[in-house]
Amino acid sequence: MALFPIHSNFECDFVIQLVPVDTEDSMDQVAEKCAYHSVNRRVHPQPGKILRVRHHENGIIFPRDMKVEEAGLRPTETLDILFMDE
Amino acid sequence: MAHLKREDWYDLTRTTNWTPKYVSEEELFPEEMSGGRGIPMEAWETYDEPYKVTYPEYVTTQREKDSGAYSVKAALERDAFVDRADPGWVSTMIAHYGAIALAEYLAVTAEGRMARFAKAPGNRNMAVFGMMDENRHCQLQLFFPHANTQRSRQWDWAHKAYHSNDWAAIAARSFFDDVTATRDAVAVSIMLTFAFETGFTNMQFLGLAADAAEAGDHTFASLISSIQTDESRHAQQGGPSLKILIENGKKEEAQALVDAAIWRAWKLFSVLSGPILDYYTPLEARKQSFKEFMLEWIVAQFERQLLDMGLDKPWYWDEFIRALDETHHGMHLGVWYWRPTVWWNPAAGVTPEEREWLEEKYPGWNDTWGQCWDVIVDNLLNGKPELTGPETLPLVCNMSQLPIVGTPGNGWNVKDYQYEYEGRLYHFGSEPDRWCFQQDPERYKKHMSLIDRFLAGEIQPADLAGALIYMGLEPGEIGDDAHNYEWLEAYKQKVDSAA
Ligand SMILES: [Fe+2]
Ligand SMILES: [Fe+2]
Repeated sequence: MALFPIHSNFECDFVIQLVPVDTEDSMDQVAEKCAYHSVNRRVHPQPGKILRVRHHENGIIFPRDMKVEEAGLRPTETLDILFMDE
Repeated sequence: MAHLKREDWYDLTRTTNWTPKYVSEEELFPEEMSGGRGIPMEAWETYDEPYKVTYPEYVTTQREKDSGAYSVKAALERDAFVDRADPGWVSTMIAHYGAIALAEYLAVTAEGRMARFAKAPGNRNMAVFGMMDENRHCQLQLFFPHANTQRSRQWDWAHKAYHSNDWAAIAARSFFDDVTATRDAVAVSIMLTFAFETGFTNMQFLGLAADAAEAGDHTFASLISSIQTDESRHAQQGGPSLKILIENGKKEEAQALVDAAIWRAWKLFSVLSGPILDYYTPLEARKQSFKEFMLEWIVAQFERQLLDMGLDKPWYWDEFIRALDETHHGMHLGVWYWRPTVWWNPAAGVTPEEREWLEEKYPGWNDTWGQCWDVIVDNLLNGKPELTGPETLPLVCNMSQLPIVGTPGNGWNVKDYQYEYEGRLYHFGSEPDRWCFQQDPERYKKHMSLIDRFLAGEIQPADLAGALIYMGLEPGEIGDDAHNYEWLEAYKQKVDSAA
């Protein structure tokens, strides 16, 4: 359990934002924390879609239940949060 | 007594180099201050300033200019234009003064460095006048807003901004410190006068003067036109320096200075002039769009000057032209959304009518930026204003110190240009921003962006309230929507008529 800062690059938003997450968070929880600062603020919700987390530089999509501490992220690393079908 | 004509004595009297006897040339002109770059003194003596002026001529002209600007101000004071001006225009002035007034004073020191340390006598001579110019600009742009401090504390930020840790002030300081405060005389002449002043102050001052006249603000129009006449003279100091560098085999170095300064200036103007010209200025007073101004002043005129000089277009030119459709829209939306963090009241500038104008000037605007604004408008109409303000900080670029933005909505392309250096992860808003850092990491590596400071625990409490304290924003200074959300009426009518 430790606070871990990441940056959220949220699909359809215009800016990247600082979002504190926890090393124990799953990628689904990371996506949810990022969504809080974008969806219904500047991004229309997309019902029926789920949010997935992608490594900003290498494009690899993380498994939904992967924990932050297992993902090999550097503090302040930028992550893409995407609307996807699955 | 008959006076000699200026051209009969000018060259002789400003040939002020001599052979030092008591100190070495290196002691007289230390490299880090003078920036001679190993080019011999005789070469610097060929520096030929295109604009020649003598002290009596200078004083006579400046006196007229000053009395012109001050008397327009005095004559119109009772007219109280500010009280009936569109709030978007008032915001334009408040943002402008805060961002510019004290930077003028920093420019005094930059001119002072050239006046003392330039190896070229012609540069030293011009810089003495430049120094007095910049002093005048600082005084004018502190004195004019001061008359309005009785109207709102925000006007006080003409003086306060640069002394604060407001994010916009950090960004402006980062740029001006880089190109004016920490460079040798030759680099100053190129980065400050050639790249920034020739290229960009034209934009802010001529663009704004045109809009000011249209908006009926004759005090502001006469003030900034008066300043601009000085700028267009002393901005010519960089050209002859560039010529000497190029003739002496230093083109690559000269090009790198120009490229870095143009990119950094562009980013600063994307947050200052961009929102002002395309969103704050009342629709009927807009002469040209920001992009049109940029295309005319930077792309057409400045680009030609670069090529005439024997330089190339900066390597990122295509990216720069592409960004004219994008960056300032992001900066504007960011400033408006994080409006409590600025010392002016941003005008949204997105009524249905204004959106038509934006769509015409920037095809696709509604499908991209408009998508974000739709959500904001819905929230305001549906009684959810809390969703139209920030609960976290945007990532800011480790070069420009400005939010990392891109196109939203259906054109989504936002990208962070990350770079790890000596174990620290840096973030940049574009490839050229990252390139500036990579040119000289030693110069930039220790700087802490607002986010770095936040994560280091320098901002307490670690929330928006703490951030406002850190930025020095007091009650009465904190920004809010310029028109107090009255622009939503147009949307309400739209909803009503649809119902
Ligand atoms: Fe100036
Ligand atoms: Fe200047």
